[in-house]
Amino acid sequence: MKNNTFKKLLTAALALTMTASLAACGSTGAASSAASAGASAAASGAASDAHYTIGLAQYGEHASLDNCREGFLQGLTDSGLLTADNITLDYQNAQFDDSIDTQIAQSFSAENCDLMVGIATPSAIACYAAAEDKNIPVIFTAVTDPEAANLTAGNCTGTSDKLPVEAQLDLIRQMQPDAKTIGIIYTTSEPNSVSAIAEYKEKAGDYGFTIDEIGVTAQSEVTQAADKLIADKVDCLSNLTDNNVVGVLSSILEKTNEAGIPVYGSEVEQVKIGCVAAAGIDYYQLGIQTGIMAAKILTGATTCDDTPFETISEYGIYVNSEALAAMNITVPDEIAAKAIESTEA
Amino acid sequence: MLDLIVSTLTQGLIYALISFGVYITYTILDFPDLGVDGSFPLGAAVTAVMLVAGANPYLTLLAAIAAGALSGLATGIIHVKLHVRNLLAGIITQTALFSINLQIAGSNLTVDRSSDTIFTAAPTMALFGGLSLLARKLAVTLVVVVVVKLVLDAYFRTKSGLLLRAVGDNSTLVTTLAKNMGNMKILGLMISNALVALAGCIVCHEQRSFSATMGTGQLVFGLATVIIGITLFRRLSFVKGTTAVIVGSVLYKACIQVAISVGLPANLLKLITAALFLLVLVCSGRKGEEIIHA
Repeated sequence: MKNNTFKKLLTAALALTMTASLAACGSTGAASSAASAGASAAASGAASDAHYTIGLAQYGEHASLDNCREGFLQGLTDSGLLTADNITLDYQNAQFDDSIDTQIAQSFSAENCDLMVGIATPSAIACYAAAEDKNIPVIFTAVTDPEAANLTAGNCTGTSDKLPVEAQLDLIRQMQPDAKTIGIIYTTSEPNSVSAIAEYKEKAGDYGFTIDEIGVTAQSEVTQAADKLIADKVDCLSNLTDNNVVGVLSSILEKTNEAGIPVYGSEVEQVKIGCVAAAGIDYYQLGIQTGIMAAKILTGATTCDDTPFETISEYGIYVNSEALAAMNITVPDEIAAKAIESTEA
Repeated sequence: MLDLIVSTLTQGLIYALISFGVYITYTILDFPDLGVDGSFPLGAAVTAVMLVAGANPYLTLLAAIAAGALSGLATGIIHVKLHVRNLLAGIITQTALFSINLQIAGSNLTVDRSSDTIFTAAPTMALFGGLSLLARKLAVTLVVVVVVKLVLDAYFRTKSGLLLRAVGDNSTLVTTLAKNMGNMKILGLMISNALVALAGCIVCHEQRSFSATMGTGQLVFGLATVIIGITLFRRLSFVKGTTAVIVGSVLYKACIQVAISVGLPANLLKLITAALFLLVLVCSGRKGEEIIHA
C-alpha cells in the first residue's frame, strides 16, 4: 500500500513537471491547450522523460481484436503525447478464458500499472474489477454496449464497436433491390450479438426486409445453422461481430458461395476473407481512436470522468469486387464512389 | 509482489470450492460429473440477478448453494433413476444449464459498482474494514473456504458421510448395509454441485459479472487440482483430502500466474501451464496414469 502512495506522489510530481515544462514552452494557458495541442507542442513537452506502464488485456485472438490492439498502440504515439520510449507495454491474451482474464487483470493491478486496457467486453470487465481497489484508469475498446456492461462509472472510459445496423440494411437494399429475407446467425450468449439482432429486427421493416435469425450456443453449431438458412432460401446473409460465428466464417462462405447466396460482413476483415460488402467498422481505426484517448488520460491531459465513451461516427463501406462478381451483384455508382476495395492482399 | 500473491491466493481459494465438489464426485463417488461446467455459471447467474435486484449479498450464497444442489439433483436423477451413464448424465445437465443460466440472467450480466457484494457489505466492513479491498477479498474467501472445509470434514465422519465414501470404494458394503446406493450418489452430487455453484457465486461477487461461458473447462480444472493435491500429499496420510485439494487449487492458479507474469507469448500460455502441471506431478513422484487408477 505504501508503494501505492509513492506512485500517486510520483504521478503528481510528474504531472507538475509536465505542466511546468509546457508552460516553459511559452504559450499562455498551457494547461488547457495540452488536451487539444497537436503533435508539435506536445512532443517537445510531454513526451520528455515521463514513463508509463500499460497493462493490455485482450480477450482472445482473432483479426478484429488484433487490429484493435495494433491500432491502439499506433494511437498512443499518434497522439503526439507519447513516444515508444515512454511506454512499457505488458500485453496479455486470455485465450477466451474468463478466469485467466481475471488473473491477468489482477496481475496488472498488482504491478501498479499506470493504465489498464481491456480489449473486448470480458477483458474490460476483468480490468475494471481489478482496478476497483487502486483506482487505476481503465480504457476499453471493442465493447458493444458499455452502459449495459456497467463500464460508464468510475475511472473508466473507452470506445464502443456498436454496429451501424441501419447503414448495413441500406447497403443491402441498394446492392440487392429485390431481396426480401436476410439470414443472420448469432450466439445467444454474446450480448453484442443479442443487441444487434434486436436492432436488426426493429429496423428491418423500414427497409422492406424480414430477418431470419438462428441462435447458436457453440461454434460447432454454426455451420448447421448456415445449412438451415440456405435451406430456407434467404436472399443473403448478414454477419455480426459475433466471435463464435466470425471464427468459422470461412466455412460459412464455402457453403453460401456454392448456394449462390451473398454474405455481408460487419467489418473490413470479414470482407477481406470473402464477404461481398460491409457497412462497418475498421477495428484498426477504432484502436487508434482508443489509443489517442488513452494517451491523453495517461499523461494527465484529461481524466476518464471528463471523457465519455466514444462510438465511431463515420463508418466505412467495404467491398470485395471478386466476391461481388461471383454473386452477379452490380454495385450502384453511389456506393462504388465511396466504397473501399478490400480483398485479401 | 505482495499484491500479486494475495490475489493469486484469493483465486486459488475461491476455485478450491470447485475442487471440493470435484473431490466428492470424482475421488469419492468415482463419478466424473461434467455438470460442473454448468453449475458453476449457474451459481454466478443466480448471484448476478439477485445483486442487480438489490438483494442482500449474503443471501446469494445460500441461493447459489440451493441452485447448485438442484442441478446436482438433476444429474443424480438422470443417472440413478433414468439409468443414463454418468458422463452422459453430466453432459445433459451441463447442456440444459447453458440455456437455463441464460434464461435466469437474460444475457451476460454485470453488477454495478455501487451494489454491495460480500466483500463490501456492512457486516464484512465491520469485521475487515481496516483492510484494503484486495486483502478483504482474501479474508472473506478464506473464511468461506475454511468453514466449508471444516463442515465437509465433520460430515465425512458422520454415518451418512461414511456411507458416501463407501459408494465409490466399496459399493457392496453400502448394499449390504441395506442402504440405497443410488440415493447416496444423488446426495453426493447435490453436495458437490452446491459447492461448485457457491464458487460461481463468489466469482460473481469478485468480478461483479456473470458470463455464460465462464463454466467452460471448470471440470478439467477441478480434476487437475484434485489430482495435483492428492498426489502431492499421498505419502502424508494425516493431510485430509480437503486440505490437499485446496493446495492443488492454489498451485494451479499460481502456475497460471507464473505463466502470465513471466510474460510468455500469449499463444503458449496453456501449453506452458500444462507443462507446469506435469512438472508438479512428476516431481511429486507419481505418474498421471497411476494416479488416475489409484
